[in-house]
Amino acid sequence: MASAAQIIIDRVNHLYRPPRGREVLALDQVSLEVANREFVALLGPSGCGKSTLLYLIGGFLPVETGAILIDGEKVAGPGPDRGIVFQHFALFPWKTVRGNILYGLERQGMPKEEREKRAMDFIELVGLHGFEDSYPSQLSGGMKQRTAIARTLAFGPDILLMDEPFGALDAQTRALMQSELLRIWQRTPKTVIFVTHDVQEAVYLADRVAVMSARPGRIKTIVDTKFDKNDPDILKAKAFVEKVDEIWHLVREEAIKAQGKRA
Amino acid sequence: MAAIDQAPAPPALRILRSTLWAGARLVSIALLLTAWELVARSGIVTPFQLPALSAVLERIWNDAASGDLAINTSVTLYRAMVGFFIAAVGGVVLGMAMSRSAAARWFFDPIISVGFPMPKIAFLPVVILWLGVFDISKITMIVFDAIFPVVAATVIAIQGVERELIWSARNMGAGQRELLWQIVLPAALPTIMTGLQVALPLSLIVAVVTEMLMGGYGLGGAMMTASRFANSTGVFAGIVEIAVVGYALVKAMALIRRRLLIWHQESQNFPSP
Amino acid sequence: MKQSLLRYLPLLLLAAIWELVARLELVSSTALPPLSDVIAAWIDMIKDGELTSNGASSLYRAGAGLALSVIVGTALGIGMAWWKPVNVLLAPMVEIFYPLPKSALIPVTVIWLGFGDGSKILLIFLGCMLPVTVGAFNGARSSEQVLVWSARSMGANRLRMLWDVVLPSAMPELLNGIRTALALSFILLVSSELIVAQKGFGYLIGFLGANGTYDAMYAVVFTVAFLGFAADRVYQMFVQRMLLWRQ
Repeated sequence: MASAAQIIIDRVNHLYRPPRGREVLALDQVSLEVANREFVALLGPSGCGKSTLLYLIGGFLPVETGAILIDGEKVAGPGPDRGIVFQHFALFPWKTVRGNILYGLERQGMPKEEREKRAMDFIELVGLHGFEDSYPSQLSGGMKQRTAIARTLAFGPDILLMDEPFGALDAQTRALMQSELLRIWQRTPKTVIFVTHDVQEAVYLADRVAVMSARPGRIKTIVDTKFDKNDPDILKAKAFVEKVDEIWHLVREEAIKAQGKRA
Repeated sequence: MAAIDQAPAPPALRILRSTLWAGARLVSIALLLTAWELVARSGIVTPFQLPALSAVLERIWNDAASGDLAINTSVTLYRAMVGFFIAAVGGVVLGMAMSRSAAARWFFDPIISVGFPMPKIAFLPVVILWLGVFDISKITMIVFDAIFPVVAATVIAIQGVERELIWSARNMGAGQRELLWQIVLPAALPTIMTGLQVALPLSLIVAVVTEMLMGGYGLGGAMMTASRFANSTGVFAGIVEIAVVGYALVKAMALIRRRLLIWHQESQNFPSP
Repeated sequence: MKQSLLRYLPLLLLAAIWELVARLELVSSTALPPLSDVIAAWIDMIKDGELTSNGASSLYRAGAGLALSVIVGTALGIGMAWWKPVNVLLAPMVEIFYPLPKSALIPVTVIWLGFGDGSKILLIFLGCMLPVTVGAFNGARSSEQVLVWSARSMGANRLRMLWDVVLPSAMPELLNGIRTALALSFILLVSSELIVAQKGFGYLIGFLGANGTYDAMYAVVFTVAFLGFAADRVYQMFVQRMLLWRQ
């Protein structure tokens, strides 16, 4: 079964139950397969349930109908095989950069010397050398997200779940972080599921882009977006620009529909 | 503490300016004290209404020399601090229980929300009726008053912990125990500290009132005795002594907060308010 | 209705346990008279006007002291945020007197104004003023520079800005400070009346306790506690109305 997908999402529904008001169908019959070491982007307007899908894969929310399989096993809760990175970093503010990265290694029971070294390696990898003893409140947004990425990579998950990780950053930092992420991904290849509403970001980073529709969230189409990521001028290449344009129209339709339904 | 609406100035000038303002603050205190002494000596008021600052300081000096000041201060502090610590530990534990167990929340939530705004001091005669006039009933009153802000702050603090923080920790393999001690409590600490900072002055207020009502040793008791004998110098000496104790406690608490929350944004922005 | 009944069920439960424990004489009936006796005593005191007349003088003292503290405290706090010289003069005094346990002022106000209404009003005024001042100061200080600038660019003069920009943006913290003052006013009122007074709730509690009519004493204690609670609830409803724009 070498060709079998690593992550299988099979007809998953999800009901969102707000504290007040009626329940909403957030995900409707969503199915998706992701291969080992593949980079897939989930793209859609806000409220399409793309983050919810990510939390289901992470095991933070219970799968009620349908199934999510990782390497053939049903997801029953969070586990260190899947690491998550959030939009607002979710760093422990009372721990330093080093302390944040060490936390997961401590929980795994790694010997002290080994985990200290590993933490420094990952601080090095994300380019935070010299900031290891800073608290998150002393860091810029980009540095916070580097710390969060290092923290997640350090405990060695096979799968990286990223929930709009660059959504809270300014445009320049965001562009920098995107190429940084590609560099890291090429050095430590992992399966990545990347949630975003930025079309260019999705096309640039991912091998495939799953475009989602809103209310209820469905997967509308899956578009192949394999480009040569090492080409410095890729963002200006004709094929790339056309691909972005094509997907942009798909998303725009959905965004308009979502707006209309809300009103 | 800068006033609104002022233009930025070059650094050197700014430092000079802030030193001058800091000096002006000291002048303001000196003015207050001088005004006190002058008004008292001018004859506008009788020495009974306002004894001279010098007389009050002399009285404090005598209290200190005779050892009364040390005894009264330590007795009051002992009651206030024991009550405060019981309220702090009990309040955090109760708040945690209410956050974790639906039954505890069902039972205690109405009691806390009704009891918090009540003037608990009105129950003092009831507590005296049950427990007598000694330390035990004074400390009970203090706990009764100081525990409410701690419980309320703890519940709000734990509710306010971001779910992403908890998810991250679970992602890295933290179990229920570890979540509570390593994630939830540290994340809730700033708000819990705010509750404690409300509870501490409250403890001192209640300690002084109970001493005034029940008598005996303590700063409040000494003040009441002075008042009964129409000794206004003693009353004003009491105010100064209690003010100093209150000031020291509040400052100490702020210091502890800064130490404990060195990672928190506020401690970076405002090194010394 | 049913929901709020379920919510306050624990309180009813406590009341039932109280009645039961007292009726079965598990504790001495002086220490804990049955709840039904307390309610009967309360009705008697309402009928003969004892509770209402003492209550009226207590509420007058608390109301007058609180109103003064809100007016003066707000003016001081905004003045401190708006004019640097005022800040320099007052901030050190506020810093020193803020942590003073307010109950220490009770004997001093008696020395100044005697045993009557005046000393209680002065005590509540002095004790409640600083939380209001600090609330107004923090609120006014945090009014955003951009708002001040945009108001100025629209041609508002300093006084207009104070009214149109600074006061509204100070409102949330100011109202919070007033809430603290409200709670403090009850504490100071009852404490001072318990210690020295010839009328008022606190006096009545002390008088009934000394006479040994404990059911009546309990009735007054719970009346005061309820009034404190009710005042806070009413105030919070008022605040929610005032701050509708924040939602």
